[in-house]
Amino acid sequence: MSAVLTLDQFSVALKRGRGKNVPILDDINLTVAAGEMTALVGESGSGKTIASLGVIRLLPRGASTSGRVMLGAQDLTTLSDAAMRKVRGRDIGMVFQNPLSALNPSTRVGAQITEVYRLHTGESDRAARARALELFGEVGIPNPADRLDDYPHQFSGGMRQRVMIAMALACSPKLLIADEPTTGLDLLVARQIMALLTRLRRERQMGVLFITHDLSVVEEHADQVHVLYAGRSVEWGSARSFFEQPRHPYSQALLGAVPRLGQARLVSIPGNLPDPETRPPGCRFAPRCAYREDACDEAYPAADSMGGTMFACRRGRTITPEALGVSEQAVAHAHNTGAVVLQADAVGVDYARSATSFVRGLFGGRDRLRALSDISFSLRRGQCLGVVGESGSGKSTLGRAVLQMIPYHGRVILDGHDFSVMRGRERRAARRGVQVVFQDPRESLNPRMRIGEIVAEPLKLAGMVGARARRDAAAALLDRVGLNERMMSQFPIAVSGGQAQRIAIARALATKPAIIVLDEPTSSLDVSTQAMLLNLLKDLAESDGLSYILISHDIAAVSYMADTIAVLRGGQLMEMGDAASVLGAPQSSYTKELVAASPHFRAIHQAGAVSGAVAVADKTGF
Amino acid sequence: MSLSLAENMAAPGGALRRGATARLLGWMGDRTMLVSGLVLMALILLFCFLGGLVYPASPVAIHGHHAFQPPSGAFPLGTDQIGRDELARLIQGGFTTMVVAIPAALLTFAIGLIYGLASALLPAWVDKVLMRVLDAFLALPGLVVLIFFASLLAPSNTELILLLGLTSWPGLARLVRNEAISQRGRDFVLATRQFGGGTWYVARVHLLRVMAPILVVNFTFLLGDSVLALSGLSFLGLGVKPPMTSWGGLLQTGLNLIALNPWWMIFPSAIMIFASIVATNLIGQGILARLGEGR
Repeated sequence: MSAVLTLDQFSVALKRGRGKNVPILDDINLTVAAGEMTALVGESGSGKTIASLGVIRLLPRGASTSGRVMLGAQDLTTLSDAAMRKVRGRDIGMVFQNPLSALNPSTRVGAQITEVYRLHTGESDRAARARALELFGEVGIPNPADRLDDYPHQFSGGMRQRVMIAMALACSPKLLIADEPTTGLDLLVARQIMALLTRLRRERQMGVLFITHDLSVVEEHADQVHVLYAGRSVEWGSARSFFEQPRHPYSQALLGAVPRLGQARLVSIPGNLPDPETRPPGCRFAPRCAYREDACDEAYPAADSMGGTMFACRRGRTITPEALGVSEQAVAHAHNTGAVVLQADAVGVDYARSATSFVRGLFGGRDRLRALSDISFSLRRGQCLGVVGESGSGKSTLGRAVLQMIPYHGRVILDGHDFSVMRGRERRAARRGVQVVFQDPRESLNPRMRIGEIVAEPLKLAGMVGARARRDAAAALLDRVGLNERMMSQFPIAVSGGQAQRIAIARALATKPAIIVLDEPTSSLDVSTQAMLLNLLKDLAESDGLSYILISHDIAAVSYMADTIAVLRGGQLMEMGDAASVLGAPQSSYTKELVAASPHFRAIHQAGAVSGAVAVADKTGF
Repeated sequence: MSLSLAENMAAPGGALRRGATARLLGWMGDRTMLVSGLVLMALILLFCFLGGLVYPASPVAIHGHHAFQPPSGAFPLGTDQIGRDELARLIQGGFTTMVVAIPAALLTFAIGLIYGLASALLPAWVDKVLMRVLDAFLALPGLVVLIFFASLLAPSNTELILLLGLTSWPGLARLVRNEAISQRGRDFVLATRQFGGGTWYVARVHLLRVMAPILVVNFTFLLGDSVLALSGLSFLGLGVKPPMTSWGGLLQTGLNLIALNPWWMIFPSAIMIFASIVATNLIGQGILARLGEGR
């Protein structure tokens, strides 16, 4: 197989502040072969996106690179800007995470595709349109001829991503760079996109550089895996060997951090990713590594190889992770006997939509849209109800109804108190018993309030007097979620996403709620951060008898947390029951499809020992 | 020699000191608009409020022998057609302008803020009523309404403040309402409501804080508008009443005698009005530019 792309000793430094050059990416050696997919894996801050921008030479101003970027036999780093412009789009196609922002909202998608094609080939408008039609068919857009003249907003997320792929393929590039193309998509849709990429690269003998933070996405699609940590390669080699036996402690931890059904505890990595300016001189992972030796701090370890992968670890040959902790559901699902804290009786939500008829609209008439139809469930103390479904399934609506944020019909009874009969002050006090943690941790903290004030706010509203007492209480809350009270004088902008989410949890705990509604609490976080957060939530449930409603499209996270799982689709309850039985023996065809789409479960069904976990999880630091 | 210099610069103390100066220069360099606007505004306010102490001549004393003279040693900005000291009148005019324009801007701001927040946070039907009333106000051309009432009432300074305040709030009210509506659905507001924060609390603690930069910017613009509106009224003879004067009034007096080319009676007041507007706009735009960069 010939290499389409070769990075040879590729390094990038960015300018920070005035005249300071900070190395972001060091000594990357990577190849993408024709017809194969190389997955470049790393968490935020690892330098993976900088690597892809470096290849297409679209780095921010002031960046400097060294090493070679070979596209076939051509060194891209030596090309003139004009020559490089011709390479982009013609020889290298690009697909980004958010197709809505990558497509021009005011131009028909067909025109956007023909534009690329005409720019590079100089063909006529008619030929370009024929080409666009052909591409639309190839990427699996139904009725291509009708849809060419639609605008980007008229497509669903998955279809938009297909449009992006069609655009990237317009000039039959040798290399496709896909930067987190499936990250915002629902599970089933993401799976279709992955299958499409795999089919296309085989048919066209096109190399794919697939950039992702989520190992599980590439588990069955990548030929090569290349794991980055803090700007350096830590492990690389064939995907098969990598997933069979990762050698580097970081790779092992990354795999162990992905929730799997019935797992007792997720692997979480203590500490933080080092800032590019303060990276340790030796192994960059050493400060967070359970296998660290003194020699690790001295120099970056030389690459070693064993069993099909190369790894930059002194001890990679000897460390083998413990077998995955499949715990027969014993620990996590022992709470079936607690008292019922929350009961929902036929909860349904209708949204008013502007009337379709103008005359009815004139008289204030509204059409009603059923967002959620009559869902009943009960939740016991210390239990977690997982609500699974794709976007638009009504899962967030259910959460908001339980939170009393939106009008609903039916009854929600918390600790024997029926919200529908309460008014005013009484209702407001009862609402404090149900708290919420949102998806985007930054949105859920007021950017202009100090963290101490944010955490103390519920205490203040609950009538706790004395700034001193509130401060101490806030410090204690922060301590419970593993954060230092020194953080209290900072603003939310100064903390990481995972820390911000912990602050949101600390704030939710302030009113001592019986239930916390977790609305996609980890979907904007890195895998290892997610692991830490889920572990924390699990600990809190055990120590305080907290109950959760976990709303998520990520069936893996739900399987790790939930005792009961409800599957929603289009506002209808498809299936509800014990987590093990819903996932193990799904009844509805939709649930079956969902479970089948999740690579983690297949791994479990293959007897569990596919990949390992490092030692015991650790919730200190962060 | 050059070696020791290099050593000095590399020394930590030197680097720190240089850093502090460089930081200050950098801060100002990045904020050219904001800093120059603030400096200009400060100069104008000093002139209006403290000018009288430095130059204590009477703005109403009539020096009959020196009527209608260009600038000289005795009268730095000359005299008007009946022999009053133009510089003293410029200072007094500025004082009067600011004493009316600043409270008027504050009043406008208060009305706009409360009206906008009420519209955003009270039940939907209240919002509908308030917004239709606002539309009605916006439909009337502001200056014409001002002129109508000013000529009807022959207002005192206090009445001028009320008049300006009561006619110029709709724009700000609409802005505040739209901004508050877009902020009130954010997750941190929902979370606050979940642990019992009421409407008033949310408005006071959360909305005002996140809207603070926009409010500051718009207040500076209001200040400029207010100076301009008052000058306009005075120019038409409907503003500040004699013997007091304002910049608009001074400009009018000068322009009435345009055939005699009294440049010293025209330029100073015109420049002050112009500078006030420029200063407030520089401050506002300066803050806006910073905001755009930060978020």
